[in-house]
This record gives sequence, C-alpha cells and structure tokens, in this order.
Amino acid sequence: MSIRVRGVTKDFGRFRALNHVDLEIPAGKLVALLGPSGSGKTTLLRIIAGLEFADSGAVEFGGKNITDRTARERQVGFVFQHYALFRHMTVFENIAFGLRVRPRGVRPPREQIREKVNDLLRLIQLQNQAGRYPSQLSGGQRQRVALARALAVEPRVLLLDEPFGALDAKVRQELRQWLRRLHDEVHITSVFVTHDQEEALELADLVAVMNEGRIEQAGSPDDVYNRPASSFVYNFLGNVNLFHGRIDDGKTYFHDEASGKPIFVRPHLLEITRQANGGSHFRGVIKHINAAGPLVKVEAVTEWAATVRVELSQEQFQALHLARDEAVFLTPKEVTIFEPEEARSGSEVRPPDEP
Amino acid sequence: MSTATLSPLDLAAGTGAACRATSEPAAVRWALIAIAVLFLGIFLFLPLGVVFYTALGDGVRAYLRTFGDPDTQSAIRLTLLAAGIAVPLNAVFGIAAAWAIGKFDFTGKTVLITLIDLPFSVSPVVSGLIYVLLFGLQGLLGPWLIAHDIRIIFAVPGIVLATIFVTFPFVARELLPTMEAQGNDEEEAALTLGASGWQTFFRVTLPNVKWALIYGVILCNARAMGEFGAVSVVSGHIRGLTDTMPLHIEVLYNDYQFVPAFAVASLLALLALATLVVKSAVEWKSREQARRAETTNREMPA
Repeated sequence: MSIRVRGVTKDFGRFRALNHVDLEIPAGKLVALLGPSGSGKTTLLRIIAGLEFADSGAVEFGGKNITDRTARERQVGFVFQHYALFRHMTVFENIAFGLRVRPRGVRPPREQIREKVNDLLRLIQLQNQAGRYPSQLSGGQRQRVALARALAVEPRVLLLDEPFGALDAKVRQELRQWLRRLHDEVHITSVFVTHDQEEALELADLVAVMNEGRIEQAGSPDDVYNRPASSFVYNFLGNVNLFHGRIDDGKTYFHDEASGKPIFVRPHLLEITRQANGGSHFRGVIKHINAAGPLVKVEAVTEWAATVRVELSQEQFQALHLARDEAVFLTPKEVTIFEPEEARSGSEVRPPDEP
Repeated sequence: MSTATLSPLDLAAGTGAACRATSEPAAVRWALIAIAVLFLGIFLFLPLGVVFYTALGDGVRAYLRTFGDPDTQSAIRLTLLAAGIAVPLNAVFGIAAAWAIGKFDFTGKTVLITLIDLPFSVSPVVSGLIYVLLFGLQGLLGPWLIAHDIRIIFAVPGIVLATIFVTFPFVARELLPTMEAQGNDEEEAALTLGASGWQTFFRVTLPNVKWALIYGVILCNARAMGEFGAVSVVSGHIRGLTDTMPLHIEVLYNDYQFVPAFAVASLLALLALATLVVKSAVEWKSREQARRAETTNREMPA
C-alpha cells in the first residue's frame, strides 16, 4: 500500500513541528525518516499512523484520502520506541491481542489465532518464550515481540518509531539485518524513524532527510549520500569538514572568512602528503591519531587553527609513517560547495524526488 | 550467568556499605527505637488493648449479647450499606478522574486536582454541614424536598451522601500517580491494533492499575466505615434508623453502657485491622511483582 503525505503542517502550541511536508512512499518499500531530534520525523510518523492529526494537509493510503480516519480504522502496524508491550500479558497474549479484540464477526476462531501467533513466534524466533512476560525479556526480544504484535493484524503499512534506539550496538546491528530480511520476505510498505544516518543508509530503500519540520531531501541512500541537495543533508550524512573559502581559476582557497562560502570535504576525501603537490592544498599539523579500526582517523590543526578530520586506510597510514606534531600538506580530492542561498532553499517546499 | 547471579548481591553489599556510612552510634539508635516503641505503645497499642479489655470485661457472653441488640444490628447494617454504596461509586469516580487527569491534557486540570483534594482539607463537620445547608429544612432545596416528601437529612440518603463526599479522594489519589507514570504508550498500541475505547480500557488500562485500585478501594472503605464527623451532622442520631457504627458507639457510651459501646468499637477496630492486613498483603504483592520484574530485567540484559 503506497503512502502519500500532502502539505502536512502541524503545530504544538507555538512550535511548528511540521511545515508543509510532502512525501511519497511507493508500495512495498522500506523508507527511513532521518533527522536530528526535533526535526519532526516522529510527528510525521504518528500523523501517518493516525495517532496525531495534522492541522492542515492530507494523508493518503493507496490513493485514498484517510486524513480523517482514526488510528483504529487505518490498519497500521505501529512499533513504539519503547515497545509499549502490554506488561500484564504474556508474549503470546501480546501478539494475539490485535486478533482477539476484533468484533465477533471478523474475529478468527481461537484455533486459528493460536496458529497465527505460533507462526509469528517462529518468525521472531521466540517459540520458547510464549508464556513469558515482557519484563522477563531482553530489549531485543521485546522489540521482536512488538514487531510480531504489529504484524499479527496484517497491517496495510508498518510504522516503526526509532526501532533500534534503545538497544545496544551489537543487538542493534543484528536486528537491523533481521528487519531487512523480514521486509524482503513480507514486502509490506514500511516507514521507520531514526536519527542514525548509518542505520538509514544501510537499511532503507528510500531515505527522507528531515530538518526543522521540513523534508530536505528524499531519495535513495546513494542519492542522498553522494548527491546531497543541501548543506544540511551533506552535513548530517556522515562526518564532514567545513571550510569557508572560494574557488578561483580551479584553485581552492580554504581560508577566506570574509567572502568565503561554505566548503565541505568528507574526511576520507582529504589526502595527507609530505610535499606540496602544486594543487589546492593547505598546511596542517597532526594532533591526534586513532589507528584502531579499519580506517585510521587523524586529527590535524590547520594554519588558521581549525581542526580537520582525515580518514585514511591502514595501508596508506603505514606507508606514510605519520607521527604526532608532524607538519603535513592536506589536499582534498573532492570538495562540495553550497551557495549560501542553497543552504536556505531547503525552507521552501521541495517536491519529493521520484524514486 | 555467574555475573548475573552475582549482581544483586553486589548491589545489596553496596547499599549495606552506604547504610553503615550514614549510621549512628548504637546508643542513638536504641534511643530512637525506644522513643518510637513507647510512643506507639501509649498512643496506639494501649488504647486498642483497652477497647478489647473493656469490651470483654463482663465476659464473652455479654460481649456477644451486644450484637443481638436490634439497634446495634441496625447500626452495623447502615454502616455496611453506606460503605457499600460509597466505595463502588468512588471507585468509578476515582478511575474516571484519574484517567482524565493522568492521560489527557485539558485546561482546568490543576483546578480539578485541587478540587479532588477538597474533602481531605475540609473539616468533616463542614462536609456534613454542606448537605444540611443544601437539603435541610431551612436549606436551599429543603422546601422542594418536603413538598415531594423526600427525606435526605436525618435519613439514610444524607448519611450515604456525606460518606461519599468524605471518601471520594481516596481512589483517585491512589490511581493518579500510577496512571501518570504509565503514560499513553500501551493505550496507543491497543488503538493501532484495532481495539475500541472500552476494550482498551478493560484490557489494558485497568489491569495496569489493578493494585493501585485495590489499595485505593481498601483505604476508601476503611474511611467510609469509620467516618464520624460528617455523618454525625446529617444523621440526627435516630436509634435503629440513622445511627452508623461510630455514632452508635457514641450513643452507647453516653448512656454509660460501656460494655456494649466497647464491644461495637472492638468490631470496628477488628474491621480496621482486617483492612490493614489486606492492605499490607496488597502492598507486599505489588512490590513483589515489581521486584520480580526488576530482577528479571537485570538478569537478562539486552
């Protein structure tokens, strides 16, 4: 079931949580709403779910306007950030809840409910925990129960609010892959909210980057990462070094506070050399080296006393024999410049990118 | 697993050390305990002992004979009736008020919370007087009531009304913190799963506040049975008709019928003691549940 959000605005008192948001989510896709806290991503998700109602604008499911429908009528599966499992019910009862509360006419017979719940328990690999209470489960297990409970009612869309936010790094990684596999199997239109850009890029078919109640850019992970539409998107997706400079005759000047525009360079696109190579470069002094991990992270201080971050491979690092307090030349392999107006243009309503 | 079983022990050891660091010398501790015990003894155990001692002063037979008296039986019945009406009504009101306040935001919320506390802060005598001024002969609605031959003051309805008024904060006050702490998440989850409002209430909200509700009902019941001041004002002390147990005790005592007076008092005291036992059991049970949930959480980290 495709989802379409048209011109949705939502105020909480004097705070504008959503500002004329447009978003199109094709059927069967896994979509991430990515943004910092306060960017309106959870509000948007709750409006799609019918837990919150927009002040203006419309929500459509499969081309049908459902703006005025209640959460109950929308048939969405919602997974809450803190799972919101029914604490006085066992795992089995939690998953069966949505089926048991159906009106008599459409309620499946007891035997069928049991079968369905057992299928879901198998899907989330918790067959042996059916009789346990939520308080007796680990965070990852609770998350899976919450997911099974949402899927039990065969929702038209699945909505997840920070689904991995409360889990530790390792469990998060496992659950992420598990959710991706699950989505590939079930193919239900899914939207999840996250502030973790890595999670969004790894998991989603489509990423909508949100900031201050607007969608800055919506596109494939490749699009938003490699072709960011605004300085905010560029900044938010991955580490970045920010300079104020200008480009004259193909040569980049990195330090020009007066007339400079913001210049962005990703840490892995900065090259460290011992000699000046004649191109656009600047000097720096190595201040910190972190060689743990697949990439070596180096911090250098520039001539104008700014800190820049550089990432290089272990091989490059070995070949260079870098040491602290060593003076080096830094050359960007690629720079991204946004016109100052560009940074602001996100405030206009931007039509969503078609996938 | 070994670290998991160790951790509660470590925790206990930690709190033990903290206790020792803040603990006083033995003499101070014993002095404090002695003061507490003495105080309790003089003001609580001694009077309670006297009640039972005097009640049984003329032997068990005289004690039991008191309860054969029709006036006493009527007083017991009236007390049970008043509590039987006031407690369920206040339970419903308490749930509704706590639900509204705990789960929704609306203007006038703080005013409502303050109003719920009114019976706690107003003297019971004033509470009774309110009804006399409202329904009494010279009261606001008095003439109309007389014209329609409805008796409220100096009759059973007045006693029930006064009891309801005096006891209505108990359930709401117990439920409010629990409901507020639990938030709306589970209700919202039920809603998205297709549950109706009533289904959400009966299957999710109510079971979650079960213990707080039982606790509130127990306290409410204890007060409803023991209320004297407000009921005394509206009752008119008509023997066998409008005397509740506390009022009946006073009447008997003023008639120098000490054994019957203390016998009825002992029954009331027994009811109170039974209430306390049930209350402690409920407290223990709910704490036990919370503790079990917590330890299982600690044993199984995410």
